[in-house]
Amino acid sequence: MAEHLLGYLGEFGTADALFDATKRAKADGFSCIDAFSPFPIEGMADVLALKRDHRIGWITLAGGIFGILAMLATQLFVNVDYPIEVGGRPLFAWPAFAVVDFELMILCAVLFAVIGMFVIIGLPRLHHPLFGTPRFGLASEDRFFLYIDATDPKFDRQETRSYLGSLGAWTVEPVRP
Amino acid sequence: MASRTPAIPLSETYRGITTEVARVPLQMPARVPWLIALILSLALLALFLASVTWLFARGVGIWGLNIPVNWAFAIHLYVWWLGLGHAGTLISAMLLLMGQDWRNSLNRFAEAMTVCAVICAGMEPILHLGRPWFLYWMFPYPATMGVWPQFRSPLEWDIWAVLTYLTVSVLFWYIGLVPDLATVRDRAKKRGWQVFFGIFALGWRGSARHWAVWNKTYRTIAAIAVPLVVSVHSEVSLLFASGQVPGWHSTIFPPYFVLGAAFSGFAMVAMIAIVMRHTFQLGHIVTERHLDVLAKVTLAMGLMTAYGYVFEVFDGYYSGELREIATLHDRFFGAYAWAYWGAVLCNFVPLQGLWVARIRRSPVLLFLISTSVVVGMWLERYMILVTSLYKDFLPSSFGYYHASFWDWSTYIGMLGLFMTPFLLFVRFLPSISIFEDKEVLEREKEAAAHG
Repeated sequence: MAEHLLGYLGEFGTADALFDATKRAKADGFSCIDAFSPFPIEGMADVLALKRDHRIGWITLAGGIFGILAMLATQLFVNVDYPIEVGGRPLFAWPAFAVVDFELMILCAVLFAVIGMFVIIGLPRLHHPLFGTPRFGLASEDRFFLYIDATDPKFDRQETRSYLGSLGAWTVEPVRP
Repeated sequence: MASRTPAIPLSETYRGITTEVARVPLQMPARVPWLIALILSLALLALFLASVTWLFARGVGIWGLNIPVNWAFAIHLYVWWLGLGHAGTLISAMLLLMGQDWRNSLNRFAEAMTVCAVICAGMEPILHLGRPWFLYWMFPYPATMGVWPQFRSPLEWDIWAVLTYLTVSVLFWYIGLVPDLATVRDRAKKRGWQVFFGIFALGWRGSARHWAVWNKTYRTIAAIAVPLVVSVHSEVSLLFASGQVPGWHSTIFPPYFVLGAAFSGFAMVAMIAIVMRHTFQLGHIVTERHLDVLAKVTLAMGLMTAYGYVFEVFDGYYSGELREIATLHDRFFGAYAWAYWGAVLCNFVPLQGLWVARIRRSPVLLFLISTSVVVGMWLERYMILVTSLYKDFLPSSFGYYHASFWDWSTYIGMLGLFMTPFLLFVRFLPSISIFEDKEVLEREKEAAAHG
């Protein structure tokens, strides 16, 4: 069986079962693993050590700062470039500027956050080998999957398959490109 | 939480939720009522297009506008539509951050309602521009004439506030929708549906890595969206309050407008929820408990809006300004007293029924009370505009406003602009959040298991 293998996908019946299995796999030294579920499972990010990823927060902050500064600069520039004197009122009307500055801060923060999210999770993407696995479609309904990647140092063609079974997986499927 | 009635019945299963919601786009259960509604709203849309064509050909003079009342339907409906939209964002964002599980059956279509309402709201000032084809003059682009938009003018507030609100609402709605689009994609049997949902699901796989980043982003946007709602409607109220027209020049205006907006919006969400659960038999997911909570929130918002009414009167007398007081008396007894008392009546009298649990849980009565609130808030926005404007500072420039045929046809036609995209959304997309309801069910089951 020299066929190329990307990894194994084990199917679980409940969120708790997947959670425990992931925790055990992590404890047994597997590192290239991923869990799939129809909804976010509380605590899963901790198990997979994803919790301390604060990139989204920083990206949003950067977007907000960019938005407010860019709009403020525009407002100041246009009033210098083409000054319109109205009844001796100041060219730099800070209270009037603030409304638009605030809106642009929010607009850019949200745009940055959404684009940042898609860049971080690597979407959109038209196809993925996991979709070729027959039972994977249930990951969006009521089944929970644990995936062990073949690049994992502890991965073994025969052992890992039965290992997933020993974690309580109902079915174990190979994932092929 | 465990002692209360669960938002989703414990007998429900993950698969049950998926089938119940995903069947709507995949095997439409109520084809005939939907088709009738679509034909009706397309007819309204045609009326809107005809009115707008005539408006573009002849100018805003076809409306009943004239000096002194040069702000009427277009601006009062701008405020009204935007207000309806705000409840969607508040339900989605604020209640998400506060961990209110009942929101999860309502947020999706409430957000879609927001998007449709903001589109309508954004149209109003554009139509009111007089020469709408010069809309792009409001953007700072290097024009050959060497001029720039006037950032000291409140007109700029409008365009940026609405643009931001529309963009943020669409993005928030869409990224919440992606996991559900993936669910429907995996359930779809026909090739066309698979491709359609496959493209818009963006390849979502439900990986723990996706969920972790998604969760952070969703909550971050929610946290930003709440102050955005407050800022957008405050901005609208400042358009009024920053001038010195009597009846508008008051510090109560921003909170008064924001609360009134949420009030009408929650009533609108209740109306849509009742129609949807009835038409698509979604009674297991949008339960009586949901109607109950919506009614309570509407009641609370209504009472806070009533406080705004009381304070507005107090503010007028306390100012000691003769013009302020005269405007107040015009509201009570003047030519447009029907709008003031109509607003008071429709907004606050039937509302009191919501103190009774049986009325809150009765779809028919809640629907009627909500309709009354939406009409009442319509009258209130009309009243605020016209009663302040029709008696100008000089008696020689007093004048009345009468809505013309084209005022009404633009407004009624615009209901088609609101309903058509909403009906398409209901038909083609999962209109209730599948995965968030599963999350609630998971939490409830856990709570039930641990007592």
